[in-house]
Amino acid sequence: MIKLSLAKKILNILLKNGGDFSEIFIQKRIANSLSLEDRKLENASSGFELGCGLRLIRGDSTFFAYIDSLTEEKILNAAKILGSAVNSSSEVKVLDLAQRKLEQRWIIKDPPSKKKQAAKKEMLLKADSCAREYSGSIIQVTGSLSDIENEEFIASSEGLFIQNSSVKVFLAVNVVAEKKGQIRTGYKSFGKTSGYEIFDNTSPEDISLRAAIIAVKMLDAVNAPAGAFPVVIGPAFGGVIFHEACGHGLEADAIIKDASVFKDRLNKKIANSRVTAIDNPSMPYHWGSYTADGEGYPPGENILIENGVLVNYITDYKSAKKTGFKRTGNGRRQSYRDIPLPRMSNTYIACGNDNPDDIIKSVSRGIYAKEFSGGQVDPATGDFVFGISEGYLIINGVIAEPVKGATLIGNGPRILKKIEYVGNNLDFAPGFCGKAGQSIANEVGQPTILVSSMTVGGTSV
Amino acid sequence: MVKENITYYCKKACSLTGKKVSEYEVYGAESTHNEAEIFNGNIESLSFSGEKGIGIRVFKKGKTGYAYTSNLEENEIIACIDKAVENADISTCDIYNYLPSPKDYLYSGDTVNRKTLFSDNFESFTIEQKIELAKKLESCAKSIDKRVSAVSDLIYDDVCSDTVIMNSNGFDDSYKSTSAFIYIGIISRDNSDTSTGDYFGYERDLSFFKIEEIAEMAVKRSTSLLGAKKIKSGKMDLLLHPFVSAQLLQVLAGILAADSVQKGKSIFKGHLGKKIFALDINIIDDGTLEKGLSSKPFDAEGVPKGRTVVFENGILQTYLYNTYTARKDSRLSTGNSVRASYKSPPQTGISNFYLEAGKTTVDDMIAKTDKGFYVTDIIGVHSGINPISGQISVGAKGLLIEKGSLTVPVKEVTIATDIFSFCKSITDTGNDLKFFPSGGYAGSPSLLVEDITVSGN
Repeated sequence: MIKLSLAKKILNILLKNGGDFSEIFIQKRIANSLSLEDRKLENASSGFELGCGLRLIRGDSTFFAYIDSLTEEKILNAAKILGSAVNSSSEVKVLDLAQRKLEQRWIIKDPPSKKKQAAKKEMLLKADSCAREYSGSIIQVTGSLSDIENEEFIASSEGLFIQNSSVKVFLAVNVVAEKKGQIRTGYKSFGKTSGYEIFDNTSPEDISLRAAIIAVKMLDAVNAPAGAFPVVIGPAFGGVIFHEACGHGLEADAIIKDASVFKDRLNKKIANSRVTAIDNPSMPYHWGSYTADGEGYPPGENILIENGVLVNYITDYKSAKKTGFKRTGNGRRQSYRDIPLPRMSNTYIACGNDNPDDIIKSVSRGIYAKEFSGGQVDPATGDFVFGISEGYLIINGVIAEPVKGATLIGNGPRILKKIEYVGNNLDFAPGFCGKAGQSIANEVGQPTILVSSMTVGGTSV
Repeated sequence: MVKENITYYCKKACSLTGKKVSEYEVYGAESTHNEAEIFNGNIESLSFSGEKGIGIRVFKKGKTGYAYTSNLEENEIIACIDKAVENADISTCDIYNYLPSPKDYLYSGDTVNRKTLFSDNFESFTIEQKIELAKKLESCAKSIDKRVSAVSDLIYDDVCSDTVIMNSNGFDDSYKSTSAFIYIGIISRDNSDTSTGDYFGYERDLSFFKIEEIAEMAVKRSTSLLGAKKIKSGKMDLLLHPFVSAQLLQVLAGILAADSVQKGKSIFKGHLGKKIFALDINIIDDGTLEKGLSSKPFDAEGVPKGRTVVFENGILQTYLYNTYTARKDSRLSTGNSVRASYKSPPQTGISNFYLEAGKTTVDDMIAKTDKGFYVTDIIGVHSGINPISGQISVGAKGLLIEKGSLTVPVKEVTIATDIFSFCKSITDTGNDLKFFPSGGYAGSPSLLVEDITVSGN
């Protein structure tokens, strides 16, 4: 998308008044989204974005500009303005740019650009009728299908010159059921860093049926209890607990700002010995995966917690340099309009040895949380919440009635120590994570786990 | 006409679109943006940007399709139009799908003084002044209380934007707006505990910020909760800070959109004319509100804005409509079509949406509460409130009220109810109406609510 010589020229203009690092990030993105509701394809939208972000770092300060254009004149102009913002004695030379092309390492068989919008519509229609056929109590089905084809070009004064591409497809189905004036919902999503072949083994109907089953089950839900109880957290989306309770607190920008309860805890035991947790952006096809991060850095598996001991944080270029922690390739950005930040990718609690059925049997009175609606954390205090969208009472080791949606609240460092069982059924779920106004693809995962005590935000005292 | 401004591109897109379809709309937005983040007296980040893009909506015999582009080269605009047409071809035909025209308008006139939507001085502020102001807020907060250990977030952000809508029915109008936002997040610590608190300012330009007041509020919201503990579960009265009540009000706003109601996704379906609140509460959506940061002359499809009383004396009067949903209910559009940016097709949403202030001061509300919980912040609104089923369960922190006084700080508890019970449980409204920016501009005073489940130990 840009010539090597021009890239080098821009990087040098950025550093003309000094600085430690300069970068040019060019992105071309084609996105499609379709939504079906009321049995109608209501919204079909497509978008084209092309632009570039220029970044200059001097000491602790980042200077950033973006433009919605790749015109040479406009980029040079923006680079000049940005370069003038800095006045520094430090002089960094732009290293020779070694060109590397990073293809997505995994094969894409059925890319969105080859898929007709009409074929996507068919998928949503099938998902809709499958959900509606499940039960007469279903009054609404909303299906949304979106895809992105992304091309990136990144050059930096460190000598990086990378071309990178990726493809993502995401389906979400929300089902509304009604009985005697009570309205309940069921939600299920499915997404991968892949083309439309994601539906080869899991069909849109599988996803909508699952959402329909949840909505209908929840029609019989009783009030969730209030108070502290043992909570069994199911696999896949259950991993949102680790994402909130710990993951955000390990992102190194929070450490730098003294805004994390996990600061100064490296090589210390912070979780039950059964807990090993990993962030791995390099797992093929996973929703939060990438070949190079938003700074062009190729990531690998990053073990965060090993048998309960904190061994690594999550870093980008700037935070790794500032803290001295290992650079992990987690500098992620929503688009060329945003500054990279240390962010999680695919973050999960590793597989344990416990049988999930035995974990449930171990609880005499508690909650089984199976599906979730997301969560939030205050990393400085470690206090976090996550919402149960499909949950059940456990009575004498047996799963009993469904309970209405409720929030679970806890404190990260304390909850990590209360994870007493870790199952052998690791699974993953796709989602979106918001931080500093940037929303990115994030995957969570875990096997079934038991938290020995957690406050359940029900209404029944 | 200045070449290369957004109006120029919208006109160009119109003439190109007109060659392919007869019914279309072009929405254009151009903005310049400045953001500065300060940490420990230094610039953490500084960004400059200029953004430009168009969104094209086409109609073909009741079918509609959308596409957008940030690349305004002619061939890219053409590709964008083709995509919008392809999208229309696959969409489901619906007799209510056609462009707005004056016969859809509930409000007729241009009641907004367009000069109030932007500050004339906006462009006179230099980047150095913005940075100084942000630094001043940081140092001010640190000097107020020794327990303030870090300012974790100090963000200044401003935007100047031009919005243009043109359509094949002859609508052609634009407006300019400016805003400046400043946000501070504080961490305070004592021997045993860490507590966070935040506050913000949101104005037409930075000269309106009351820096000392913003610093004081953020510090107070953080330090007053040091040493907070979980409390025993039980039912009690709640006093909700506007930070909290405004977030709950936004949830209400979502299910008052006619779109949600018509699709069976709102518990307010079938409740027009019914008394929902025990009190005689008024809730208003006013797109023409003076000093309202969401005021504009027309909505996201060019329909004039107005003042819509949604609840009067606690009784539900109307839903919020765009033209499509209005036609479906044989009503007129209340001018509530919104879009997050040129990248989104129009949807239904709020403008300045608020619960009218009452007369009681917060102090009086505390004084008349025998045993209660003053909730100063909530967490997990997105995950803990299901607007469709109406269930509410969110994390909360604040202070206990005992015999009319604030006593022990509280954290790590939840409050849970459902939307109808919540509306019925409000027993008093404060005189301290405060607005919050977020997908519109929602405002609420402090609210006293009785008998809500608090879950802790």
